[in-house]
Amino acid sequence: MSPLQLFLVFFKIGIFTFGGGWSIVAQMQNEFADSKKLLTQEDLLDIVSLGRSLPGTMAGNVAWLFGFRQAGVIGGIAALLGVTTPPLLILAVITVFYSAAKTNVYFAAAMKGVRATVAPIIFSALLRLWKSAFPKPLCYAIYAGAAALSFFLKISAVYLILAGVVIGLFFGGDAKAKAGEGGKEGGR
Amino acid sequence: MIYLQLLWSFTKIGFTSFGGISMIPLILDEMSSHGWMTAAEISDIVAIAEMTPGPLGLNCATFAGIRVAGILGAVAANLGVLMPTFTICAAAAFFFEKFHSSPVLKRIMVGVRPVGLGLVTAVIINLILSNYYTDGSVEWICVAIGALACVLLIKFKVSIPKIIAIAAALGIIFFR
Repeated sequence: MSPLQLFLVFFKIGIFTFGGGWSIVAQMQNEFADSKKLLTQEDLLDIVSLGRSLPGTMAGNVAWLFGFRQAGVIGGIAALLGVTTPPLLILAVITVFYSAAKTNVYFAAAMKGVRATVAPIIFSALLRLWKSAFPKPLCYAIYAGAAALSFFLKISAVYLILAGVVIGLFFGGDAKAKAGEGGKEGGR
Repeated sequence: MIYLQLLWSFTKIGFTSFGGISMIPLILDEMSSHGWMTAAEISDIVAIAEMTPGPLGLNCATFAGIRVAGILGAVAANLGVLMPTFTICAAAAFFFEKFHSSPVLKRIMVGVRPVGLGLVTAVIINLILSNYYTDGSVEWICVAIGALACVLLIKFKVSIPKIIAIAAALGIIFFR
């Protein structure tokens, strides 16, 4: 993809990334994995895990990682500007009309409806990422452990990903090479 | 100069946080030490940031930046929050692409991918708890909108912008 295309697609993604960086995953599946085949589910999971575990905002990091892969540093900048410009513009307007926006019943009602879709959007992404993560039985244990530690003990993503790095280094060998390969929709 | 102050404050916030709610104590610190925002304004902006698209850190940066120094202030603050992306993430991207096909990295990713999926799962559970369950009771209309979104997304492959538009319309109908 050219930097201009990257900017435009990420601009569109930026408009609809509600509820933190994770919903960007579902949109990237639609934009890059399904139609254009620029990304396998495995690649996407890699980019997302990396983007989440680095400092800074996840959506920005993920945009950079994908843009850089597509078109080098210029691509990274284009994707990053694309994903960050819509929230900047939208929030600029809201800030100016701060007190009106804060108390507007239509705005609050609409956004309450939108918030109800954030979990389903991320869940739909999870379903499609699913197959790419389990080349070995051990991976199910890692998955369950990471989910539990993150949810119950609120252990930071950084430490969990680092633990994953160490486990992978020692036990990640001789996984069936073609594991997952971007599993199609799949019935899980 | 105010733009540099904003840039520097939000650069510190960017580097010492890992997104989302973890930024709030740092933002609170920086904003109150400069007298840029009050604690009440920060809790408002968190609420607004959750309703609008985009990362929480960037939304706080925009809000504080505009209030302190107009739209250029917002740009400076946004650049600050994105500084880790320009540096650490850019370096990581470089090495990640360079060693993309190395067997060691492949082994590592076998351990990392399930962690990534585990994090997604925890996020979904947290979102379910906070978006469908408020003040000790289940919000059935939200659950219904969520269930509809699931069906439309998974069964009918409706695009995300359309899902969001439908949910906003339903929200206005039911919650106004």
